[in-house]
Amino acid sequence: MKNKILLSIISLIFTITQGIYSQDIMPSVYIKNISGKSINSKTTYNKKGLTVYSFWATWCVPCINELDNIHKEIEKWNEANVKIIAISTDDSRTKRRIRPLVNGKKWGFEILLDENQALKRALNISGIPHTIVTKGNRIIYRKMGYKPGEENDLYEFILKNSIAKN
Amino acid sequence: MNNKKTIYILLLCLFNNFILNSQILKNLTSSYESFSAYYLDDSKTGDFSYDKRFRSNNYFNLKSNIGNNWNFELQIESYAPKSLLNYSENFEKTNISTFKIDYNKNNLSVSLGNFYEQFGSGMILRSWEDKDLGINNSIRGLNAKYRINDEINISTLIGNQKKGFKYSKGFIVGFNSEFDFSKAIKNNSTFLLGLSYVGRNDQKTKSDFYPEMTNLFSARIDYSSSSFYSNFEIVNKSENPVVIFGSLSDSFIKKGSAILLNSGYFKNGLGLDFTFRRLENMSLFSEREAFGNVYNESIVNYLPALTKQHDYSLTNLYVYAAQPNVSFQSPMLTKAGEIGIQTDLYYFIENETFFGGKYGTNLSINASVWNNLDGNFDFNNQKYETELLSFGEKYFSEISFEIRKKWSEKFDNIFLFVNQYYNKRLVEETTDEVKSNIIVLENTYKLNSNKSLRLELQHLSTKDDSKNWSAIALEFNLSSAFSIYFSDLYNYQNPEKDKKIHYYNAGGSYSKGINRYTVNYGRQRGGLVCTGGICRYVPESTGLSFGITTSFF
Repeated sequence: MKNKILLSIISLIFTITQGIYSQDIMPSVYIKNISGKSINSKTTYNKKGLTVYSFWATWCVPCINELDNIHKEIEKWNEANVKIIAISTDDSRTKRRIRPLVNGKKWGFEILLDENQALKRALNISGIPHTIVTKGNRIIYRKMGYKPGEENDLYEFILKNSIAKN
Repeated sequence: MNNKKTIYILLLCLFNNFILNSQILKNLTSSYESFSAYYLDDSKTGDFSYDKRFRSNNYFNLKSNIGNNWNFELQIESYAPKSLLNYSENFEKTNISTFKIDYNKNNLSVSLGNFYEQFGSGMILRSWEDKDLGINNSIRGLNAKYRINDEINISTLIGNQKKGFKYSKGFIVGFNSEFDFSKAIKNNSTFLLGLSYVGRNDQKTKSDFYPEMTNLFSARIDYSSSSFYSNFEIVNKSENPVVIFGSLSDSFIKKGSAILLNSGYFKNGLGLDFTFRRLENMSLFSEREAFGNVYNESIVNYLPALTKQHDYSLTNLYVYAAQPNVSFQSPMLTKAGEIGIQTDLYYFIENETFFGGKYGTNLSINASVWNNLDGNFDFNNQKYETELLSFGEKYFSEISFEIRKKWSEKFDNIFLFVNQYYNKRLVEETTDEVKSNIIVLENTYKLNSNKSLRLELQHLSTKDDSKNWSAIALEFNLSSAFSIYFSDLYNYQNPEKDKKIHYYNAGGSYSKGINRYTVNYGRQRGGLVCTGGICRYVPESTGLSFGITTSFF
């Protein structure tokens, strides 16, 4: 009997692993815009091209480095028909620093707030920085962490996929 | 017997085939995280004095959906043979940690199972998961949300709170409402009103002197326009016994309250923010007996320290923790909460100016000061009366100044100066106070498009506590996937010779897409550590540790 249970469990796990793949559609979760109004995450993507979702926080130095480096060459990115959304995962300890920081840095990205990490959890994101690119609402690229210069790889990816669309 | 076996295998195949073809499996997604360590004896910090040198925390999460309306989530956690150091004993062995079924249709959303929720800024309720801190205070029960129209949202919840793999004996009930009056104002600004209620029923500590139920009410308003924002929240908490020397008092029973005001002004290039907060007797646990536990188990509300959250090791040596509680230790050490302010200033100096240079310069200043509440404290009779807006003895203050500067395509700098005052006696209820100055210089040099070097230099100077510290970190990013690092913290002026310890660490990481593998060897002081682009809290220990984060098998 014990063997049968074990065999059943093993075969079930085996079966399940055959069908598993990672999340590929933007989930539907309520997050907030910068004024504190609730919006659904599935309505945020760029209808005409690609969207970059960059998960960051005001206390995360590599996250800010990445967004700073994208911002420094923002004209180049804008030409690639890509919408950049910086999703702050700051909780109520640090979220009041978001607006002063964003304006102090003159970032032109759309800022959304995932204060209790509902979207981060729905996307199985374990640490930040974490970058997601979607085409429509389909996820086509994911990357965790940031090292200096990686924004160039991301830009190359965007360029390739934007051209493919046209 | 053989026939039976054949039938069994046939049934198993059919069942598995059914699972494989069902919609629930087609939409299945998963993630797996694992953090393990092998702890070693250390000639400087001492032998490893617990059982099980090899310890491992594992998290396996499965999500699926049927159509647009039904979502399922299951998380299995394993702490085998034991959980990592600094995690609660309630995380034991392998078990189902959380499960949830969601139903979403139009403006209605209903969750059954373990859910995470926050009302307002979390001062009366926040349930969330933070694996690094060992927090999962999700509520198991029912959570329903309804969007009446674009202007009005309501939600309600009831359930038991999770602690480790167990649940609180009493229940938590809550109601939240949000109203948007922006349309009525008609000038492109936003005006929101929120009203919430949380009830905590604790059946573990029954007494004739106070009720099972503790009630909290919160009201908040939130205004923002194109260059200004302000929000204000007040909380009232019903009577609750004070904890005196580890036990609940039958006679010292007090109400609690909180006031939070936050305002800011910004226009392109400049950002200013101001926060005031006053907390009196505000902490709330799903079980009163959990008061003061070091793992933050059973916490119902979120009362973070409102100070700058630092990213560098030496700036995190003397970290302030919020002081929301009543504590009567001696006639000289009586506390009833905290009162204080924090301000931030961010300024961008334009490029092509004298201070801006080719790429512009980012400046930021943060200042905060937190004090005990002022009032009349009667230690012998266990009584107190507080003043509303008057500041008592100082707990903590800090001023920090940061410049971020890109000099060329290849080279950039971050310079940070911090001046801290930490009243260790009053905050930690021990002795001493610490005045310190910290300097940090971070340099990043790009060798080519995906190779870079990062060097971090830090120094903390103080005449108090364990005197001066220095720190160095060197990180070499070999490619977009590989990274190696070395770091060292050194308490070089510690008055006790055998406490002049090097906290050295070396390690590497490999990451590709959403898969990441890390290995580290060294002596951990503990605190927030950011390397290879990821920030994590690490516990104090010596040993070899490994991490795996993946969304594939």
